[in-house]
Amino acid sequence: MDVLHNLSFGFEQALTLQNLLYCALGCTVGTLIGLLPGLGPLSTISLLLPLTYSIPTGGALIMLAGIYYGAQYGDSVSAITMKIPHASSIVACIDGYQMTLKGKTGLALFTAGLSSFIGGTVAIIVLSTMAPALGEVGFLFGPADYCALMLLGFFCVSFVSAGSLLNGLAMAMVGVLLGVVGTDVNSGVARYTMDLAFLQDGIGLISIALGCFGIAEVVKNLDNKNVLTPFNGKIKLMPTWPEFKRIWPSALRGSVIGSILGILPGGGPTIAQFAAYAADKKFSKYKHEIGTGCIEGVAGQAAADEAAARTSFIPLMAIGIPENAVMALMMAAFVVKGIQPGPNMIATHPDLFWGLVASMWIGNCFLLVLNVPLVRYWLSVFKIPYTVLFPAIMFFCCIGTFSINNSIDDIYTTAVFGLIGYLFLRLDMEAAPLMLGFILGPMLEENFRRAMLLSRGDFGVFVSRPISGTLLAVIAIVVVWQVVAFFRAVRKKSAPAIDAVVPTTS
Amino acid sequence: MNNRNFVRGMFLMAIAALFGGVATRYTVGTFGHSGPGLFPIMVSAFLFLIGLITAVRSFFVERLPVDYNVKNIAVILASLVGFALISEHLNMILGIVFMVFVSTLAGTSYSVVRNIKIAICLVAIAFAFKNLLGLNLPLY
Repeated sequence: MDVLHNLSFGFEQALTLQNLLYCALGCTVGTLIGLLPGLGPLSTISLLLPLTYSIPTGGALIMLAGIYYGAQYGDSVSAITMKIPHASSIVACIDGYQMTLKGKTGLALFTAGLSSFIGGTVAIIVLSTMAPALGEVGFLFGPADYCALMLLGFFCVSFVSAGSLLNGLAMAMVGVLLGVVGTDVNSGVARYTMDLAFLQDGIGLISIALGCFGIAEVVKNLDNKNVLTPFNGKIKLMPTWPEFKRIWPSALRGSVIGSILGILPGGGPTIAQFAAYAADKKFSKYKHEIGTGCIEGVAGQAAADEAAARTSFIPLMAIGIPENAVMALMMAAFVVKGIQPGPNMIATHPDLFWGLVASMWIGNCFLLVLNVPLVRYWLSVFKIPYTVLFPAIMFFCCIGTFSINNSIDDIYTTAVFGLIGYLFLRLDMEAAPLMLGFILGPMLEENFRRAMLLSRGDFGVFVSRPISGTLLAVIAIVVVWQVVAFFRAVRKKSAPAIDAVVPTTS
Repeated sequence: MNNRNFVRGMFLMAIAALFGGVATRYTVGTFGHSGPGLFPIMVSAFLFLIGLITAVRSFFVERLPVDYNVKNIAVILASLVGFALISEHLNMILGIVFMVFVSTLAGTSYSVVRNIKIAICLVAIAFAFKNLLGLNLPLY
């Protein structure tokens, strides 16, 4: 058994004392910051990314992965107990909070913890079997195929995270344009640098991320002025046997759905949660109870959440294209450490790849231990008022941006992107596609130019190659579907308006 | 026009015009052998198109006003820039203190005692970062 052999090799890597510590630290810090209002996985990772620069490669990646799924999990805890969702755990608010209202918080948290564990375990099986296989496919990709795949990623992410294809796509394009800033690799021309020396290497990723997700989010929360009431209810964790039996079917269903949706371009935890919740509503034995606070409504989505958070590493590590904004940040972390994710990664760095996979399962155990018995201590985080919290968040933003290059200039860049991020926020423009566009922009340009060079300027190459042709066809279908849906909505809206006018005139 | 969708369209078109306009100054080249200007021009053109569609579309969908609060964003940005300036010319400890005292002006309540406590904690964390994690902070 090749997979088993590889996995045991991975566990050897991950079970060193040092890596165990990094994993535990990542999970703990990730959960802690993920719990805080206004800080989802994206801002948590960008805040903590600079701190991992001084850690050895394997440990840094293990820790970042831990931060990611820890933050993802912390999010669902705050959603269940107090109905404060970040973008990543909207679904947990529905049934989870209903259960809290019924006084079954402990049961909801236990269900979420156990289901997350099941979801994570299933996802790791998928990850260890699928990623190497997909890596083989990755070798078949030419420049044109990469372009098409990135475009598909933009379309899918726009659709998923912004809810509207047009808005999301616009943000992705703004991101691509920001990615162009700096010295052009092919010709050495400095583009859009305004003669500023620190822009020669391009705009700092962390500056953009912390500006748009850190500073802008802080101001948004200040504008809202909502006061949080800390959770003070009793928590009874252990479920009864019949309750315990109800968790399994939903959690397994959610794991499978999450694993699949995590791999697809634009996929990830958010869409997986919605899909799993919808599936439970349709197929669960207790579907009539969903929405009123029942176990199935929590179990399915929690499992899908954690499963998708892990399988979304597959496209990044096997093909080298991150499929959503969080993975784009992960990719930046890989590159900083001198590792180019892609088909070659598994072959050239098997210790990192299998170590990371194994550490995800270990992280899973840590999360279960950290969160299920100790959850009541975590909840005391909410007793910190926001007036104390936000100067601290700003402090971390500043230290984070500064310590990348030890340069004060980066803090000014962060301030500029804080303003831009605030404008985006007030204009209902989702910043997640911008992140993805920014990371993929230079790769898109590079591959586009290479593809055109190879084909001597003939656009036919995008259609004639089977992989890119198929991907572009999928994009075309999505666009046509969106346009049709828009015109239908307009017609439907104007129809009742006419109906309303008719009776009054007659 | 206080219409979120319309303003967004205009905003996007402005960004596209800015990037596209500057890009024309770089060598464009041909598709087969492209210069540094070609790709930004293509992307800007696409973005301009999206902006145009957004602006036109705004007349057909429900109007949403733009709501904003100049005070909070101004206070936060001022504290950030102040932090950077003070850290650059004096030292980072003063920068942290300045940031805490200015940024909390945006909060719901203001208390000098609490600010002193926050500032002390943050300075302590900064020292921990410098000495334990090896970050190179110009604290003093």
